[in-house]
Amino acid sequence: MKQAQFGLRAVAALFAVATLAWSTGAAAQSAAQRAVDAAKPLCAGGKTITIVWEAGLQSLDPLNFSGPKWEQLTGCKVKVVEAPVSEMFTKIMQEFRAGTGAYDALNVIPAWMPDLAQAGALEVLDPYVEKYGYAKELQTIAATYRDNQMKVNGKIYGFPDDGDVFIFYYRKDLFARDDLKKAFKAKHGYDLAPPKTWKQFDDIGSFFTEALKSEGIYGASMFRESGYGNFMFQERFRNEGGKFFDANMKATINSPAGVKVLTEWRNENRFMPPGVEKFGFVENLAVFLEGKSAMTISWPPYGRFAAGYLSEEKALSWVPKSKIAGKVGYTLPPGGHPELAAGFALSVAAGSKQKEAAYLFIQWLNSEDTSNQRVQLPYALRDPFRDSHFTNPGYLKLWPDAKDYLAALQAASKTGLLDLSLIQTDKYEEALRQGISRLWAGEDPKKILDDIAKQWDEVTAKVGVEKQKAVYSAWAAKSGAYPK
Amino acid sequence: MPASCFQPREQTHRTSLAAIRTKAATRDRRFKYVLVAPSIFVLLLIGIFPLIYLIVVSFQNITMTDMDTSFQGLLNYRQMVNDTRMWQALLHTVIFTAIALPIELVLGLAMAQLFIDRIPGRQVFVALLVLPVVISPIVAGATWSLMFDNRFGPINQIIGWLIGGEATILWTINPNLVYPAILVAEVWQWTPFMFLLLLAALSAVDKSQLEAASIDGAGWWRTFFRIVLPAIWPVMAIAILIRGLDLFRLFDIVWALTRGGPGTMTETISIFAYVKGFQQFDTSFTAAVALMIIVLLSIVVMAALKRVELAR
Repeated sequence: MKQAQFGLRAVAALFAVATLAWSTGAAAQSAAQRAVDAAKPLCAGGKTITIVWEAGLQSLDPLNFSGPKWEQLTGCKVKVVEAPVSEMFTKIMQEFRAGTGAYDALNVIPAWMPDLAQAGALEVLDPYVEKYGYAKELQTIAATYRDNQMKVNGKIYGFPDDGDVFIFYYRKDLFARDDLKKAFKAKHGYDLAPPKTWKQFDDIGSFFTEALKSEGIYGASMFRESGYGNFMFQERFRNEGGKFFDANMKATINSPAGVKVLTEWRNENRFMPPGVEKFGFVENLAVFLEGKSAMTISWPPYGRFAAGYLSEEKALSWVPKSKIAGKVGYTLPPGGHPELAAGFALSVAAGSKQKEAAYLFIQWLNSEDTSNQRVQLPYALRDPFRDSHFTNPGYLKLWPDAKDYLAALQAASKTGLLDLSLIQTDKYEEALRQGISRLWAGEDPKKILDDIAKQWDEVTAKVGVEKQKAVYSAWAAKSGAYPK
Repeated sequence: MPASCFQPREQTHRTSLAAIRTKAATRDRRFKYVLVAPSIFVLLLIGIFPLIYLIVVSFQNITMTDMDTSFQGLLNYRQMVNDTRMWQALLHTVIFTAIALPIELVLGLAMAQLFIDRIPGRQVFVALLVLPVVISPIVAGATWSLMFDNRFGPINQIIGWLIGGEATILWTINPNLVYPAILVAEVWQWTPFMFLLLLAALSAVDKSQLEAASIDGAGWWRTFFRIVLPAIWPVMAIAILIRGLDLFRLFDIVWALTRGGPGTMTETISIFAYVKGFQQFDTSFTAAVALMIIVLLSIVVMAALKRVELAR
């Protein structure tokens, strides 16, 4: 009997040791490797994963790097369906409604998630995360992205995969010039330094334009085209203390904060290049890289392009040659809470016929190992979004000021503000975009904002006040909704 | 034997012959129907079915982002009637049509008159003039967008040379300039279409009548209004109808230049329908708008065809 008991104990002990050894081994294995190992049997026979990706530079990542690598590791081919951002939502929804199962994985702008989740177009990822042990690596995504751009109603619908955030870029050589410092102090009574408030921005911008006129340099240039202006407004409005809705879900975009932003925008154009009203990503980039503007706000690639990082890269031949390499400083925009403008999350299409394989592909893409390589690709516009990206030794050495750049991105990731995300977000944004274009046509800011608020209330009424209120409350409760 | 003796027989023969003919004609007619039936069926399937489906959808509540597809009666139509943005879009479309169509017609006719005589290099010029028509409208719009660009566009550059300084004219933003900018692009692209049709029509005018008028001492205007215009009118009417319908569906050039902005100042009914249907997924509402456009255009086309006596 004793012998039998001993035997049983020995078997139990052996089982426990084996289990421990297996689990330790599994834990030691990275999420990327787990995805590869699990995908290999699924990919046997040459499957193809179809993923929707933004057209242009963004899609060079899966076309040139991650797609071929995934095929090499697992045998699964990757087919990339490219679409401009403006058409991605439409394509995803149309395919979902058609039910063809043509897409397996998706790039989704986090602000679209409530709409896509409500429509049932996205697969809930929690069971897969648990099954393939990805929860731990999800925790090392920078808090702002992880806490704000991953879930709808407590369920995971996408992995934040792009640290899109607005950073303030300035010409540190101009800010360091003694003649300018002296003249500025004499005029304004405080030291010339990157602005912390919009009042300072106005002072510095107009001062530079006046002082540097002979050198052809303007104080600042900004996104003013309405599509980009939408993000800029959302950021600045909240930095000025504005709230999008009141407790009854009535639009309050026409509050004094909103009027202040639009009025100041128009006034600031006086020290910006002529035609700034039409500036989008490329126009603003060209002016800044040519050295014709002292300050600007934009997404992270501006920092890399301005540094001239791999400017000989063929895919970047359209980027104007930087005349300001080594002269650019990076910091947070005035107000200190930059917009987490757009961004991308990786999701699995609910209509996919190979969800498991699609999930494993996005886990691998998003993992620590793979994402650290992807954010350093010079041509693909994926920006740092994991804690480890900001301190990656390889990244820190990419150009002399890369450490300052990454520090600014990390700071921004801690204080960034989310894009407004509701049911039918695009209708709210469209009203805002139209309002901004009316501003440049010379209309009164208050009148414009009153009209926008009216349109927003109409959309809310159509969606259903209570229904929208619940979505807005969930969004407003997120850490990145309003400055704390 | 009197001939009348044979009458009943002949009559019977005729009657049976007529019956056979009628029978054959009926069989023949039926056979024709059988032959055309498949094509009629296909036409109905691709022509009528979408229309019926459009009508059905316009009474539903399909939004693409929601699973609800319930019937909601006339709600979409009520919303459409109360939608000021839609009426504005319709007004903008009418404005574009009312201005562009006469300009294209007059310019096209003037150019056709110019090229009706054999002039050196006529074929080359005609070929060059027709080039804009073969360009895709969205490409034409994008090209004009670059032309009007305040930094890189040649138009501002030329104005700058003329005024001797930097010209920053925001053609697609300034409310006073945005309509002229769109109309210039539109007229540039489609006047050659009018020109081509009217050139063909003018070439077919009876020369002897013109000579007779000239001998009788009729002046240019009199000859034009009494002989040329009546002769080319059927072709001209069709050209006006085609361009009128095209202008009513105006989308590409405006989209490429302004996307309907500033605000919704240049939004046409096609852009409005696109935004509602394909950006905001108000599918049922868009179906109601589309139906309204179809009904409106059908009335206009029928009235126009009746007027030019082509629909009889």
